[in-house]
Amino acid sequence: MATGRTVNRWTRIYHDGYDISGMSRSIGMAGMLYDMADLTTLNDSVKGYLRRVGHVNAETVNAVLDNTAVTGLHTVGLTAGAKRTLLIAAGIRAEPAAGDPCFGGQFTQGAYQLSDDGGAVAATLPYGGWATDATFSHNYRPFGILTHAKGAETAVNTAIGLDDEGAATAQGGYMTYQVLAGNGTATLKIQDAATNTDPSFADITGVTTGSINCAVVQHGIVAATVSAIRRYLRWQIVFGTATTVTFALGFTRG
Amino acid sequence: MATGRTVSRWTRFAVDDSAGTPREIPINTLSPVGLVYDMTEHTNWQDAVKNYLANHPDAVIEIGGSFDNSAAAALAASGAAPVLSGSHTVLNPISAPTFTTPLGLWIAIGIRGYWATGDPAFGVVAPSATSGYVCEKYQTDFVTYVASFKPHPGTTPAWGTAIIT
Repeated sequence: MATGRTVNRWTRIYHDGYDISGMSRSIGMAGMLYDMADLTTLNDSVKGYLRRVGHVNAETVNAVLDNTAVTGLHTVGLTAGAKRTLLIAAGIRAEPAAGDPCFGGQFTQGAYQLSDDGGAVAATLPYGGWATDATFSHNYRPFGILTHAKGAETAVNTAIGLDDEGAATAQGGYMTYQVLAGNGTATLKIQDAATNTDPSFADITGVTTGSINCAVVQHGIVAATVSAIRRYLRWQIVFGTATTVTFALGFTRG
Repeated sequence: MATGRTVSRWTRFAVDDSAGTPREIPINTLSPVGLVYDMTEHTNWQDAVKNYLANHPDAVIEIGGSFDNSAAAALAASGAAPVLSGSHTVLNPISAPTFTTPLGLWIAIGIRGYWATGDPAFGVVAPSATSGYVCEKYQTDFVTYVASFKPHPGTTPAWGTAIIT
């Protein structure tokens, strides 16, 4: 991972288990926007507000038409109105790497529309806010970190982890997973540790995909069932029948 | 401090991080700064011109700038060059639904040089459990970001000349 500023040529978008970065041109502003309740009273000297409901949004993916079989956007994004698992990875002046910022969750794709854009046939995929039928309700930070950049793994992880926060947190968290390829079953997890050594890491309770068939694309979100998330984070894989799995993982703290 | 006119390159923006430590973050857009009053009209038929009274003022702050995930850094002292923290590093935790602490927020207008005590500043430089700003919005396309802040109930943002603490 790197730190600092970047440009959008290093942004990658994973949509329901497919990498659509090669068909996407830009994304809108993702993040958190709150309804603010005005609580000003007669004797207040200045208007005062408190947050009400938050809107975590993925805005719009602006893309080009691509009707490649199976993986083309005209195939994987054609059905609007469906819940989508999105993972947007922000590479910092380089391909996204573990520890880089990410935005992940389940959002309802509001449309799939083609239009002319200076002669190019463009595709637009606007997303609504957090999907009502998402795996769980959102009560977390808007952004997390990439714990595993898109890539293949053939062995369990014995490496040290990431220090994304500098301290433990106490508001839970969730994993966004995108499995792009594989040859059998495997289980993906996030582990945490108080000290950054291999034997110190343990599974975060609840943050597991369970055994999934990685021979077909897989995607989803899973939340921790504990509030305490220790300081260091890393990905983990347990191989079933698979010997190789290509995936990307994000983890968002509360 | 200095007196006279200035340009925006000497403007600084700081907001508390989730631990209550003020952090200066990069900005390249800033909404108008200061109190703006709701004006209640009291014009009657007999008046020659429309007339008004000031009701509650508002003090919304909107900023934008470069997305940056650099580590948090200590705020530069009076008269020193800015030391920037990553905008994402600071804004992501304070925009979580679970974060409800009022934030210190400081906009400092340096007068043809690095801001020094005595130069104009606006915001809430000494927040408390009941006084400060609330982060209303943090959104990014990972290249730029936008964020907005509104006063917590009971807060009186004000002009001053002191650094945020």
